[in-house]
Amino acid sequence: MIRIYLHPIPIRIWHWINALGFIILIITGIQVRYGNIIKLFSFETAVDIHSWTGFILIANYCIWLFYYLLTFKIKIYFPPITHPIQFTKDSIRQAKFYGYGIFVGDPNPHHPTPDNKFNPMQKISYLMIMASLIPVQIITGLFLWDPKLFSKWINLVGGIQIVDMIHVLLFIFFSAFIVVHFYLATLGHTPLAHIKAMITGYEEEEEEHSH
Amino acid sequence: MEKKTIFFLLISLLGVSMIFSGHCTAAEVQLPDEARICLGCHSYKGLTKQLENKEALSLYINASEFADSVHNPTSCAGCHMDISMANHPQVKKITSKKEYSANASKSCSMCHPNDVLKKKPAHGYLITQTKAPSCSECHGAHYIKRITEWKTRISDIQYCLTCHKHDLSMKLGSGELLPLSVNETLLKNSVHGSLQCGVCHTGFSKTEHPLRTFKSKKEFSASVSKACTMCHTETQLKKKPIHADLITTAKVTTCVECHGSHSIKRMSELKPTVKENQYCLTCHKHKFSMPLKSGESLSLSVDESVIRKSVHDKLQCSACHIGFSKTEHPKRVFESKRKYSISASEVCKKCHENANKLYEESIHLAQLKSGNLKSSTCTDCHGSHSMAKATTDKTLGLLSCNKCHGEINSVYEKSIHGEARSKGKENSPTCASCHNAHDVKVTARTTKMKDTCLKCHKDVDNLHKKWLSNPPIKLSSFAGLHLDTIACATCHSPGAGGGVYLTLYDKKTGYPFPEEKVLKLLETDSAGLVKKIDTNEDGNVDAREVWNFTQRLKRKGADVTLRAIMDVRTGIEAHQLTAKAKAVKECEKCHQADSHFFKNVYVVLSKADGKPTLYTAEQGVLNSLFSVLPVNQFYVLGSSNIKLLDILFILAVLGGASFPVVHIMLRILTIPIKEARRLKALKKEGK
Repeated sequence: MIRIYLHPIPIRIWHWINALGFIILIITGIQVRYGNIIKLFSFETAVDIHSWTGFILIANYCIWLFYYLLTFKIKIYFPPITHPIQFTKDSIRQAKFYGYGIFVGDPNPHHPTPDNKFNPMQKISYLMIMASLIPVQIITGLFLWDPKLFSKWINLVGGIQIVDMIHVLLFIFFSAFIVVHFYLATLGHTPLAHIKAMITGYEEEEEEHSH
Repeated sequence: MEKKTIFFLLISLLGVSMIFSGHCTAAEVQLPDEARICLGCHSYKGLTKQLENKEALSLYINASEFADSVHNPTSCAGCHMDISMANHPQVKKITSKKEYSANASKSCSMCHPNDVLKKKPAHGYLITQTKAPSCSECHGAHYIKRITEWKTRISDIQYCLTCHKHDLSMKLGSGELLPLSVNETLLKNSVHGSLQCGVCHTGFSKTEHPLRTFKSKKEFSASVSKACTMCHTETQLKKKPIHADLITTAKVTTCVECHGSHSIKRMSELKPTVKENQYCLTCHKHKFSMPLKSGESLSLSVDESVIRKSVHDKLQCSACHIGFSKTEHPKRVFESKRKYSISASEVCKKCHENANKLYEESIHLAQLKSGNLKSSTCTDCHGSHSMAKATTDKTLGLLSCNKCHGEINSVYEKSIHGEARSKGKENSPTCASCHNAHDVKVTARTTKMKDTCLKCHKDVDNLHKKWLSNPPIKLSSFAGLHLDTIACATCHSPGAGGGVYLTLYDKKTGYPFPEEKVLKLLETDSAGLVKKIDTNEDGNVDAREVWNFTQRLKRKGADVTLRAIMDVRTGIEAHQLTAKAKAVKECEKCHQADSHFFKNVYVVLSKADGKPTLYTAEQGVLNSLFSVLPVNQFYVLGSSNIKLLDILFILAVLGGASFPVVHIMLRILTIPIKEARRLKALKKEGK
């Protein structure tokens, strides 16, 4: 087993704050939306927690963004534009692993390094999430936080109903994603390997067998 | 010697000396000796007595006239029974001439017993009246002539005035007191000054005075006025159309009511001497009316005291009643009282241009134009002759509005505004404070609703943000968002039912899209419009119908949207405002799927005058994907959830959860394969 330092401390802090924040936002979001069915908190408390958490996560997102931008590590999210065919092949190979190889005992084709942390599928999905879905969720969340303050922008989008629809659709996506994400996190060489790595920063990787 | 005896001797000497000295005119006439003695003093013209009320009672007696009187043979003491040579003069307190005269008259009954005096009915009536003049007031005292002789000498008028110049009155059946006194000067100066009394008072003369009774003054003047027609023929009286109407249809039965009686003046003389208003009031102060085509009766009488209190007290009648003057009185015909009021109000704009401009924008005029004749005009609120100044009469708004909106007033009186007003807080709002005075607007379900409250309640956004904010920053815009969409009464009238009102707006103008325009675009009428909105005619507009309706209008070129507000449902609810401590603060009242507001949803079309037409919408109309675009400016957390998204959420969560489950199961099921491959690999490595 070799230990690779994959997750620097700012990223680990960001990740766990984000994880906790997402769970809180989902729970309070459900409370706000389904107050007639679920009674965890009052509407007012749910909105208060949701708003506070939202702003914390905005700040958190900024930590992530600045860290990756200032360290130039943001490139780990970007697929290699110069090698699109190879990237496509790698993506298919990774998909085949999750859809077939994992069941027949094939090794994970991707071996993370600090400079190439994500497998091709992770790259696509995290880039989409971090570069578009979360910013959109932040913006629509801000719009809903004070619709009058952002009324001009809301009108550009097509009205508060559209803004809410986008926010709710992303809420649905993130709710489903977080479940899948948690499951995928258990697919390390042990179920807790990836989770431990996100705590310690070190990912344990089986040594390559030389033939 | 006693003082009295000395004085008597002196008087006697004076009397005797006068008799024989020839200074006394009594010497030339036949008088009883006793009278001669009295006249010894009383023939001096300067002999007077100061009475207690400061009147000067003349004690002078004209000896020759007395000698000619019917009472010459009667000695002085025959009437002045309390005076004798032994006690005269005595210090006697006399209050007034009236009292003296009344007391002196008592002696008349010595010779003229009551049964004789009552022989003539009118005389009999007179002497039984408590305030009747005494005998001497009418008949005189020392120079009384025999009636038959007196009548031949005196003129008719003077004969009548003998009694009627005194303060006489007659009690009528109605309890009214009919004055019977006549002012001689006014009578002489009147156009009828030269007429004998009997010309008008037919049946009365120096020899005839029938006793008549009347039910009322009105009956009396009607009876008297009949005499006028003896000289003033009907043709002559009906020459002027208004005068003709007056005496035929307006039911002014008596001439004297307008023209007066004994002080009557020639009209050509009267007109220059009176001001226009007085001239008009000559007739219009009396109760009379004119019939209208509708069969109603329009009162034409004007209470002068009311005009004097009005803000127009300095105006001439013709300032408002254009075309009328002392010389002009056109004849007009009106359909009904209401139409008269409406036409009368037209004149107000002549001076009150600004108020009229505002009125032209009001719901009242719009209603009037649409045929609702009950809608208010100027005089309905301000009165006509009683015109009050709104700035000085703050209750004007309340009183005038109550005429039509009484049910709202009873609620207002119990509201925080009404209670404050009853406690003397004059700045507490009245109707006009919110609805305006002249440009009266419908505030319900319009953008005006907030503005009306904000006239007094300044800075409400900041006041509400103290508790209505979204952390972490307290912004007034968040509170403002609520205030823009929720009518103040919705929260400040606790217990009031509420609803969501989706009003059709013109996106370009930012104003409600008028129903009239909708009718034109859809080429239908009001009844047809209902079918065009509620196409399945189930009495509820559903989301698909909302979508179809707005799309249809858009296809016709109308850029419309539905703007939602949350409001109370009735005007009564809108006025039962209470203290802020009792206002609704619980977010769940609105932000919950089962909020009662969202059970009452209406599609609203506003007419050009602001009057809304409500179409009941289905309860779930705001939870449909069809409403997202037509009602794109309205979203309430927890209440206007799109149902489809909820289904999607459940599917996503189930999908998200089933992925690991399926994946794990496959991984378990494929363990033998993995194991076999592992063993194979180990074997290959030779382990």
